Formats: sequence, structure tokens, C-alpha cells
Amino acid sequence: MNSRFGTNVLSILSLAVLWEVTGRAMDSTLIPPLSQIGAAWWKLLSSGKLLANLSMSLTTLAIGFCLAVLVGVVLGLLMGRFRAVEHFLDLYVNALMSAPTTAFVPVLILWFGLGIESRIAVVFLFAVFVIIINTMTGVKQVDTILVEMARSFGAREREIFFKIMLPAALPAIMAGLRLGIGRAVKGMVTAEMLLTLTGIGAMIMQYGSAFATDSLFAVILTILLIALLTMKAVQWLDRRLTGWKAEIAIE
Amino acid sequence: MVQNVQAVQDVRIVGELPGGLHGLNDLNKAKPLVEIQGVSKSFYKTVKESTTEVKALADVSLSIRENEFVSIIGPSGCGKTTLLKMIDGLIPYDSGKIIIDGKQVTAPGPDRAVVFQAFALLPWRTVLANVEFSLELRRLPKENRTNIARDYLKRVGLADFENHYPHELSGGMQQRAGLARALAVNPSILLMDEPFGAVDAQTRQLLQEELLELWQRERKTVIFITHSMDEAVYLSDRVVVMTPRPGKVAEILDVPLPRPRVSEEVRRDAKFVDLTNYIWESLKKAMENHH
Repeated sequence: MNSRFGTNVLSILSLAVLWEVTGRAMDSTLIPPLSQIGAAWWKLLSSGKLLANLSMSLTTLAIGFCLAVLVGVVLGLLMGRFRAVEHFLDLYVNALMSAPTTAFVPVLILWFGLGIESRIAVVFLFAVFVIIINTMTGVKQVDTILVEMARSFGAREREIFFKIMLPAALPAIMAGLRLGIGRAVKGMVTAEMLLTLTGIGAMIMQYGSAFATDSLFAVILTILLIALLTMKAVQWLDRRLTGWKAEIAIE
Repeated sequence: MVQNVQAVQDVRIVGELPGGLHGLNDLNKAKPLVEIQGVSKSFYKTVKESTTEVKALADVSLSIRENEFVSIIGPSGCGKTTLLKMIDGLIPYDSGKIIIDGKQVTAPGPDRAVVFQAFALLPWRTVLANVEFSLELRRLPKENRTNIARDYLKRVGLADFENHYPHELSGGMQQRAGLARALAVNPSILLMDEPFGAVDAQTRQLLQEELLELWQRERKTVIFITHSMDEAVYLSDRVVVMTPRPGKVAEILDVPLPRPRVSEEVRRDAKFVDLTNYIWESLKKAMENHH
């Protein structure tokens, strides 16, 4: 664990140094030195501009992702448990899972307008299918011996679902959430760049077209940071909920 | 009426019984608790739209007395596990009848509990919570559950491991937990499906001794599926030898060894050796006749 953390820090430091040196050597607006990006970032932060946009973006992300988790887990559980539901829905889920979600943006604008609803819908669509599929797979892969054991001790359907299927599928559900949060961040930025210029996506477009590369990189690094932190948050939740599994992985 | 049925269906005579093996014990006087009458079972396999019938069990009859320890031994795929699951009520049978204490079996019931070959412990629950699971399903209040589970963990020697997760325990310890979970609901019939098949030889012998000790104290009817001939002889009052698929009862043998049985002594006993050899011959004959 510690050696891994050390290697991570080393990796970041060497990249930063490389970037700084290259930036200074090139002396071009295309690759500004890291120190300059840092200064731009600090300016964006202290002016309150970054936080204002960030809060807008993160609101979209939070609402869209929570809806995706809710719908994704419920549908996934139903599809995993009941053949009929699976056969009824898997066509659409598989098609939409592999389709480029960006293609639906115009339709979403027509349906939901240009407000936050559309952006939430994009985040939702980016994240929901991978959650559905992971949840469904998790339920279907539950060891039949455990179900048999529960039945043998007199478990009813409800008990089999809540005491066996759900906890057994939890690691797969959490894996779906991990993949889902990554996609949700992509959806968030995509929506803000393609739909209405708002939030952090708007900042990218704005600084990009103005060749303000230092601010542009500052925003991009912020997005990377968000992606990393949200992922870490899901991983933390995963470890808390399925600690029994994590211990197996460490062994 | 069924007490003295020693070889029911499809008897194969495999030579003379070793002397003295028919010395029946007093269990013969006990009443039959489990009656299996002409039970058959087929499975259907569908491969590329053509369905073939696989006969798992054909006309199996067997009568098991209260507090008796009966082992069922047979080659792989002879339907022993299927038979056990049908006695538990987990899967239906096609024809015939299984009657327990006068009532026909249609579903799992509180009078039976299974010890599974692959332990079937819930990996997300601690050992204590795993043992509580069976009691939870029987709707016992939380406090009682914990007390009873602790008591049975103590009896199987796992008192110090109640907060461990299954993967932190050895196979033998996991199966002790499985045994505690089954015993905790206080079933009158314990159904054991090759319970010691997945542990190493030394642990296996230890578990056999512990099981006998527990059984001696608790006095339950045990139906024990196994591959191992010496395990069957060491543990049982009677050994049922089955034929390969479709499984039928080839022979039912009494084990005239006195109890309590001390492992080292019993295994050196001439009767033990003779009977083990006899079962081996019987299994071999059953397999040869099959091909």
C-alpha cells in the first residue's frame, strides 16, 4: 500500500517536472509550463469562477448519477431475477450500451429543452446501462448452491432475494457503479460542451477558443481531479459495503 | 414390515457375506422414519433442440429407522445427491413416494437440515451470522438466535472463531460451521451430502470422529452420502450400495461394529476390513454389470 502511494507520488512529480521543463523550453502558448497553469488555476479559484461553475457541474453529475444508480440497480436486479424481464429489455439495454450516447443529445434537447434537465438526462444515459448490465450479471452469477441452501432451510422468495441474491450481487453492482461514475463524468462534460455552454464544459470551450491555454489546462486538470475523486469515493463505498470481498482480493 | 428388507430392488449377489456380518443390532426394533418407495427421477437435457432423457434414479426403495445412521455409497453420477435433495424436498420426484414420519415430502421442512458438500456458507457473513442464518429463516428472535448459534459453535469447536469470515477458515472449519448451522435448527433428520469430500484426509478422519461423538449425544437420524467406503463403514449402522446411473439400490449392508467406535480400533477390526472389502467388491460388480 505504502510503496504504491510512493510510486504514485513519484509518477506525478516526474510528470510535473517534465511538463515544466518542456513548457519552459518550448516557450509557446500550446504547452504552457505547469507553474503558469497553476497560477491560472489559482486565479480561477480565487475569483470564485471555478467554484461557481464546478458547483453547477457537480449538481448535474450528482443528480444524473444518483438517478442512474437508482434506475440501473432496480432494472438490473429485475432483469437478473426474472427471465421474462431480461428478454423484454435486454435488446434495448445492449443496443443503448454500445451506441454513442452523444447521438441522443439533439433528441434530449427537443424533449427536455436547454436547461439542467437535459444535462441530467445525458449524465443519466451515459451511466445507466453499464450499471444495469453489471447488476444483472451479478444477480445471474449468484452461486446456485447458496440459493439451494437457503431454500433448504425454508427461505421464501423474498428472503432469497434480499438475504442471498442482493448481498451476493453487491460486488458486481459496485463494479457497475465504478464504471458508471466514470461515464457520468464524461456525460457531464459532454452535455456542458454540446448542449448549453454551462459549468466546467463552458469554461473549456471558452478558454479553448480564446487560446487561453493555461486556464484551459487548469480546467482540464480539475476535471481529471473530479474523475479521480469520484472514483475514489465509489471505491471507498465499495470497500465499506463488500469488505468481505476486498479481503479475499488482498489474499 | 420393512425392517428386514436387506436387499430391495435389483439385488446383485456378489459372493458370500463375510462371517458374522449379519449380527443385527437393536436398531431393528425402532420404527421407520423415512420411507422411500419406488422413487424414480429423470432429468431432461436439451442440446440443439433435441431433448434427451437422463434417468438419474430408477425405482429406489429404502427404509430408514429413527436415530439410524445410514450411508449411501455409489459411483459418481449414480444419483445419490439427487436422492438426498428429494428427501430434503428441494427437488420433486417423478414417481414413487418419499414419506417422512407418515407425511409425504413435497417441500423442505423443519424436521430436516442439510450439510452441503461445498459448505454453502455465505461469504459476506461471519461464522456466527452464518449459523444464525438457518435460525433467522425459522423466525427465531435475534437474542435466541445468537445464543443458540454460539452454543452450537462451541459444540463443533468453533467458539473462538465466531467473528471470522468463512474464507479465513480452513475447509474443515468451514464444514464445522456448516454442521453447526444444520444442527442449530434441531432437525430430527440430518442430511449430509459428501460433507467431508472437500477436506484433506487427516481433517476428514477428525471430522468423522467429531460427527460420531455429536451424533452419539444428539441422537439424530443421519443420511450420509459418501464416496468413501471406510467412511461409510466407520460411521454407519447400515450402508446402502447403489449402482451407476440410473441409480438403483444394489445392496443394503448392516455394520455390526459396536458403538461407541474408536477410530483406530475400529479400522483395525477384522469385521471393518472385511466389510470395506465386501463393499468394494459390491461396487465393482455393480459397475461391471452396468457396462
